[in-house]
Amino acid sequence: MQDLEMRHLESPKVGWDYQKATARLTSLVRRGAFFSNYVIAFTIILTLNFVLPRMMPGDPLQAIYGEEALLAMTPQLETELIARLSLDQSMSQQFVAYILALASGDLGHSYYYNQQVLAVILDFLPWTLLLTGTALVISTLLGFVLGIESGYRRGRRLDKTLLAGLMFLNGFPDFFMGIVLLLVFGVVFGMVPLSGALTPYSGLEGFPLVLDILHHLLAPLAALVLVRVTSAYLLTRNTMITTLKENFVLTARAKGCSEGQIKYRHAGRNSLLPVVTATGLMIPHMITGALFVEIVFSYPGVGWLLYNSLLTRDYPLIQGILLMVTLAVLVTNLLVDLLYSKLDPRVSHAR
Amino acid sequence: MLEISDLKVSYDGTEILAGIDLDLLRGDSLAIIGESGAGKTTLGLALMGLLDGRTSGRIHLDGKDVLSLDGKERRKMRGKDMAMVFQNVEDALDPLMTVSDQIEEAISAHREKGGPEDVRDRVRRLFKSVGLEEEKGESYPHQLSGGEKQRVLIAMALANDPQVLILDEPTASLDAVTKAEITKLLRERIREKICLVITHDISTAAKLTEKMAVLYAGRIIEMGETTGLLENPRHPYTRGLIRSSPNMTTTKDLQGIPGRMVHGVAGCPFSDRCTQKIDRCSKEVPQLSDAGDRMIACHRGGIIPLLEISKVKTCFGDFVAVNGVDLTLYEGETIALVGESGSGKTTLAKTVIGLFDQEEGEIRLEGEVLVKRNREFYKKVQMIYQNPKESISHRMNVLDAVTEPLEVQKVGSPAERIAIVKRVLEEVELSSDDAFLKKYPHQISGGEAQRVAIARSLVLNPKLLIADEPTSALDASVQAKILKLLLNLQEKRGLSILFITHDIAIARKVSDRLAVMLKGKIVEEGPASDVTTSPVHPYTMRLLEVAPDLAPTREARETRGGLWGVSEGRPLRAREL
Repeated sequence: MQDLEMRHLESPKVGWDYQKATARLTSLVRRGAFFSNYVIAFTIILTLNFVLPRMMPGDPLQAIYGEEALLAMTPQLETELIARLSLDQSMSQQFVAYILALASGDLGHSYYYNQQVLAVILDFLPWTLLLTGTALVISTLLGFVLGIESGYRRGRRLDKTLLAGLMFLNGFPDFFMGIVLLLVFGVVFGMVPLSGALTPYSGLEGFPLVLDILHHLLAPLAALVLVRVTSAYLLTRNTMITTLKENFVLTARAKGCSEGQIKYRHAGRNSLLPVVTATGLMIPHMITGALFVEIVFSYPGVGWLLYNSLLTRDYPLIQGILLMVTLAVLVTNLLVDLLYSKLDPRVSHAR
Repeated sequence: MLEISDLKVSYDGTEILAGIDLDLLRGDSLAIIGESGAGKTTLGLALMGLLDGRTSGRIHLDGKDVLSLDGKERRKMRGKDMAMVFQNVEDALDPLMTVSDQIEEAISAHREKGGPEDVRDRVRRLFKSVGLEEEKGESYPHQLSGGEKQRVLIAMALANDPQVLILDEPTASLDAVTKAEITKLLRERIREKICLVITHDISTAAKLTEKMAVLYAGRIIEMGETTGLLENPRHPYTRGLIRSSPNMTTTKDLQGIPGRMVHGVAGCPFSDRCTQKIDRCSKEVPQLSDAGDRMIACHRGGIIPLLEISKVKTCFGDFVAVNGVDLTLYEGETIALVGESGSGKTTLAKTVIGLFDQEEGEIRLEGEVLVKRNREFYKKVQMIYQNPKESISHRMNVLDAVTEPLEVQKVGSPAERIAIVKRVLEEVELSSDDAFLKKYPHQISGGEAQRVAIARSLVLNPKLLIADEPTSALDASVQAKILKLLLNLQEKRGLSILFITHDIAIARKVSDRLAVMLKGKIVEEGPASDVTTSPVHPYTMRLLEVAPDLAPTREARETRGGLWGVSEGRPLRAREL
């Protein structure tokens, strides 16, 4: 009898560990499924990216040389240009060429700048990264902290003021906020520069240069943050209110944790998870917002570049920018997904 | 020492706690029991200072006035001088922190000096003291079982060796085996502390505490030694709680408490649900006062003795049928009078109701000695008999039979009487339509006839019902229905029942107490469970031996003792395991 039990207990240790192998396989399949979502999304984006600009009215030649220039243009020159820009090829040929070029890292040639698209974008990208990146971090952090403080004091003065104030700010479009800030602080008070990302030909270096850049960044950044902070704030506040009712908060109180520990370590950290997800979802909005703000402040970022390339029907450049933006969104979403499992032990355990 | 006096808590004007007084010394463990909503958890939270509501009164811990402390000082007391373990282990731990981090936090929140090494060492010892392996410390709450989480929470509460430990439903969400383990662990850990066990689970309370307080709508209504309180509850609410909690000790079928709890009523908070209330109860709040071995808050001094029989002797000529019987029947209680035919059961019943005169002794009803049975007496005491068809006149239909007591007592107008009759018929689950009202005893079944007899006895709303073998003429399924009906009526109206039967198996199911009668004397009396599980008198043993049983033979019944030992000869039957 006892012998039988022993053998029964021992059996799983012997030979090939079937259970462990299946577990590994399922986790692999699951991970594959997780990434395949991103692959599918990416493919769709590539296609749309190719088709959409070509569906716009207008013609790149017209844009480059203008109505009048075209009249002066000889048919010979026109054919040559069309051939050089591959405009005589069929759509499918263009598409195949596009994909092949992409695979080799070639985003095409900008008609307008007469330069490699990648090089053009890389020229402008740092400014956008600086603007949207800082705006994203600041608005999320600020929204998070304000949300925690507000949710913790639900119904009291600070909470009511913050709630009303931020809801009000959230009602404005980014560019309008930008215009208001530009008028008030730039034109009336002269506290911030009116355009650009740094003072041209100032020859500044080192720390003064950093200060100059920050000075230029201030107004567009403020415009973005003021409008964007509300969503993080509202979400944190609501989550905070529900989290504070959880039993573990009571446990924390009962063991004598200080207000700060309860607010941030327990309730705050548990309220962070949905905020992180929402931040990931907010990135596309942030980028569109930046586009308008960059135009208002003539900030030399990708948004401003996109605007210019739209005006000039610079298809390769438009495609390149859209591709970069979508890639950025996909990558940040992926990062958020991965971060989520780091933040919440329950997620990594489930996966 | 923890002194609580006149502790009141209110939310939006509603008093959740309406003046609690408690004095507890080191080593005391007190159970606070009551239905949900009674204010049990509020009491715990008020002590911890975790309430948003208005708190007034006095809480002194070792002479320190706790309620006058400011927020910061109060925080320093939490988890250090007094700790609390909350119910719902499932979400009582922070899901994002490892459990040892959470315990460490409890220690470091109150620590001015001492390095992280000391803290970790202390956590290690705590884990050991609650019977957890050290490796579990690195787990997140979702990786632990309910029992393990509860152990972690207990370790957390014990982290700073607090003087006062409050356990809120410490075992509510655990399975039975884990519950037993946790109870054992807690029993060891709460020694030398002041411990408050807040629970609706009476059996946990019984295992963990020496004292018990029953909380109802923010007031303590009964308080005393746990054993005494559970064996002999004296407040109707306490008795109701015990009757409604499933356990392996009592044998009577489960009964509830009618109505629901309401806070902030004038007068006794329980008065709306109480079956023995008097006018005073709904006007004046009873104070908790000394009542011998315990404190009780009831204008009537607890459950009243309804019928007191002392040294009653009834004779027929030279034959002594009832020979010096003492018996007390309390309000809302059933006593089963068990014995063979000729033992004097029915004679005693008929003596009580006045069909026979007693030679000696006295009978009191609601404290007054019965001299003459007048009309008033029969309003309070009614009887039902063994053979229902015989007990209803053949010349009366259902309506006549049930209306007769009302006519005798001159209650209401003819129209009102019919309304009362219909209501009572519905109460005993009979049809009240005209066709049925016109039926004669021979036209209805035995079960229906007995219900009519019960309806007839209840139509005057008596306090005491003497039931003489009320179901022996009925088949088993009808009998079960009638017995359930009687128990329900008892629950609803607080009816006291003197249940006369020769069948100890029925007695065990319907009665709170059991009295065994032999040759005109009561030879054994006690709680039904005690009498049926550990009888003292040989006659009781004999009765139990011949009591109905589902095992086929006596021989088979006797082997039941050795559960697993039986392997030869006869195969085991499912029921015996």
